[in-house]
Amino acid sequence: MSKSKKVNTKVLTIILIIAPFILLFVSLFIGRYPLTVNEVIKYLSLGHDVALKGTDAIKYTVIWQIRMPRAILALLVGGSLAISGGALQGMFRNPLVDSGMLGVSAGAGFGAAISIIIFNNTIFTYLFAFGFGMLAVVLSYLTGKIYKSAPTVTLVLGGVIISSIFSALLSFVKYVADPYEQLPTIVFWLMGSLSSANYKDILIALIPMSIGVIGILLIRWRINILSLGEREAKTLGVNTKLCRVLILACTSLATAGAVCVSGTIGWIGLVIPHIGRMIVGNDNRILLPTCISIGACFLIIVDNIGRAITGGEIPLGVLTAIVGGPFYIYLLKKTRGGSW
Amino acid sequence: MAVLEVKNLNFGYNDINLINGLNFEVEEGQVLCLFGPNGSGKTTILDCILGLNKIRKGEIIIEGVNSLGLKPEELAQKISYVPQKHNRTFPYTVLEIVLMGRTAYTSMFSSPGKEDIRIAEQSLKKVGMHRFKDRIFTSLSGGEAQLVKIARALAQDTKLLIFDEPTSHLDFRHELNVLKYIVELVKSNNISVLMATHFPNHAFYLENNGINTKVAMIEDGKFGALGKPSVILNERNMENIFKIKTKVFEYVENNKKLNYIVPVDFNTN
Repeated sequence: MSKSKKVNTKVLTIILIIAPFILLFVSLFIGRYPLTVNEVIKYLSLGHDVALKGTDAIKYTVIWQIRMPRAILALLVGGSLAISGGALQGMFRNPLVDSGMLGVSAGAGFGAAISIIIFNNTIFTYLFAFGFGMLAVVLSYLTGKIYKSAPTVTLVLGGVIISSIFSALLSFVKYVADPYEQLPTIVFWLMGSLSSANYKDILIALIPMSIGVIGILLIRWRINILSLGEREAKTLGVNTKLCRVLILACTSLATAGAVCVSGTIGWIGLVIPHIGRMIVGNDNRILLPTCISIGACFLIIVDNIGRAITGGEIPLGVLTAIVGGPFYIYLLKKTRGGSW
Repeated sequence: MAVLEVKNLNFGYNDINLINGLNFEVEEGQVLCLFGPNGSGKTTILDCILGLNKIRKGEIIIEGVNSLGLKPEELAQKISYVPQKHNRTFPYTVLEIVLMGRTAYTSMFSSPGKEDIRIAEQSLKKVGMHRFKDRIFTSLSGGEAQLVKIARALAQDTKLLIFDEPTSHLDFRHELNVLKYIVELVKSNNISVLMATHFPNHAFYLENNGINTKVAMIEDGKFGALGKPSVILNERNMENIFKIKTKVFEYVENNKKLNYIVPVDFNTN
């Protein structure tokens, strides 16, 4: 039995590694402009700067400038949100925590809204969303530290308080925003979208996301230990305070990096880790890399659905739960919840 | 040589002193039972030694080194801890739980390797739990879970093991099983044990089985008596410290004189 289990693990690992790339390739075909396999392969093999070589400019643009950056961004954002959620759930020993738990999403939403009102410039929106997202985490952490006892519970509490303050501020900004120009922009930003994806966005977001994700991957064994609780973690030799700060910093960077280019996309950071647990178990050494793959696959699929099923675009924040919910229920039924 | 030396230990919260100037040591291959009523400070003393409580005054010397200067992972390489109850957490497998005992030997940014897995499996074998290694830890019975926690402490590979009420909530059979493994580990690995217990018969059991055992009877953060179980676990001390009447019995089995103690009544004086 254990031998067949090992083979399964190997197959599963391979699937988890190559699935995002297959989906990336598939998503190059999805959209209103039809492309054949041969065309896609031809343009891919010609490389990034073929426009100058007199090839079909439209096809080149569709593949390299529209679908490719969008698909890459979907993979990055999905993976970052999922692993951050998984890491925070482990650290807080709470399966209801998600990647926006410490106020990142609320802070980023407020930052984006302000920037839309004042500057109406995408770069500033990224910077403000990122900056306020990180600020919200720092404030949550400081709020949590006011209490001396049970630090993880109070951190959650701090996150809830700071989130609600930023939500209220966001409502105020929406209230004063110009209802014909600014308000719709804010609302669409909040619903999440990858439609404006370009390589510049990817590069901007890649820095915080990759620092965060690599950091989480490096420290993932310690997350197992922290999930046993403060007492046991300390007696097992873990510097709990330092570990917690590092995990918070990494998850916040990864989440804020994702949110600032894609808007607030809920659900992924909360539910993808659960799906991961049903498939590979609870050991964060395996679970967290799995989360990256599942989160990436999930977001690219949802984004493809969002831009394919209607002429316009369905916002991502709307679709993630509508598509993901039934899938989650199906898995829950099949695995009986992975011994929760 | 003393594995653990505690000198003039003082601890308290705010303006209340809970522990006032305790002195004791645990030698190699020795078991020291901290024995006292609920709320007498047993767990508080353990927490001071484990570095969970910041002591006010005094010194805790582990294998000749003052524990205050040790980093968490250095301390965890010298002392392992078997907690009374396990917090509810994610449903890890038994092997994953035991592997966590190797954390003190892995650096901040790495995971346990093949050798650590081998040590974890070895530790599970030592407590007869190897066949449970792929089971979900949270689904085990209390007795099984206790043995797994002992295996985790063994994987931590320390000279000193600290137990907090190792047999609370266990039935007779599992209680005996845990005590049997403690005896075996102390005898075969020459480790030292410090344990908090409110069962005086645990101390007798260890002494009856030829372990170098001492009991410290705790009364309000001080030792009311300290010595061998057969010497200090007597009716007079029980009356002074626990305020109850007890009866110590002696019986003979396999030509050995053995002791046990039973409570009789409240102290009516």
